[in-house]
Amino acid sequence: MEMVFDSSTMILLAKSELLGIASENIHIIIPEMVKAECAVKNTFDAKLILALIGNKKIEVVTANQKAVGALRRDFKIHAGEAESLAVALKKQIPLAVDDLPTIKACKILNVKFTTAIHFLITITEKGRIDSEMALVKLEKLSFYGRYNKRIIDDAAKRLKGGKECRL
Amino acid sequence: MSVISLRLKDREIERINELSKMSHKDKSAVARELIDYGWEFLMIKQYREGKLSLSALAEKLELSVSEAIDLLSEFGVESPIDYDDYLKGFEAFKK
Repeated sequence: MEMVFDSSTMILLAKSELLGIASENIHIIIPEMVKAECAVKNTFDAKLILALIGNKKIEVVTANQKAVGALRRDFKIHAGEAESLAVALKKQIPLAVDDLPTIKACKILNVKFTTAIHFLITITEKGRIDSEMALVKLEKLSFYGRYNKRIIDDAAKRLKGGKECRL
Repeated sequence: MSVISLRLKDREIERINELSKMSHKDKSAVARELIDYGWEFLMIKQYREGKLSLSALAEKLELSVSEAIDLLSEFGVESPIDYDDYLKGFEAFKK
């Protein structure tokens, strides 16, 4: 499965130490601007993302700047978010994004979207990490991702196997 | 640094004086700090209301996206993503 990533979801997964596992299950594509946004400072998540790019686990592509300009103008989103959306639109694949203005644009443009917390649920459902570890990761992801209580409660329930995840 | 004249209310001047005494800094330094805090608060509020994207917030605060996420986490600013969007997010994994 292929998916385009915006810097928000990419960094959240890196901070929660889930990006490596996610990249083993999904072919991650990022535009150049997202790479630049993620690697602008010498942080732990920047090093991890650059290492995954170096190991060919993350593919970096060039977005069509004409499309990017139009998306920025129409939806008032930033360059990295617009480049991610432009690539997802062109390739007709989902966009991983934890940013509300970009999610709104996805809805209007009929682009499927997902967020960092969905990767944790998917990885757990596929048995890549056990339920106990998943709940530890959820705690970390809820700190950095700052999801609302209803989302966290539902995710915890799914991670404990209390509700079947429709994936 | 440039110099500008501003008309302030008595209450605002009192606040600057109070902060200046508390932090042992001159009034200009305190006023600049308050402007910075106010700017940060307004930008975070706009992000929280979904009016500003995460990357735009980072740029406005002169931070990297990673640092902006750390700042939002530190302040406990809830993500504007709602439960409906969360449920829709599962559709991306359907084949």
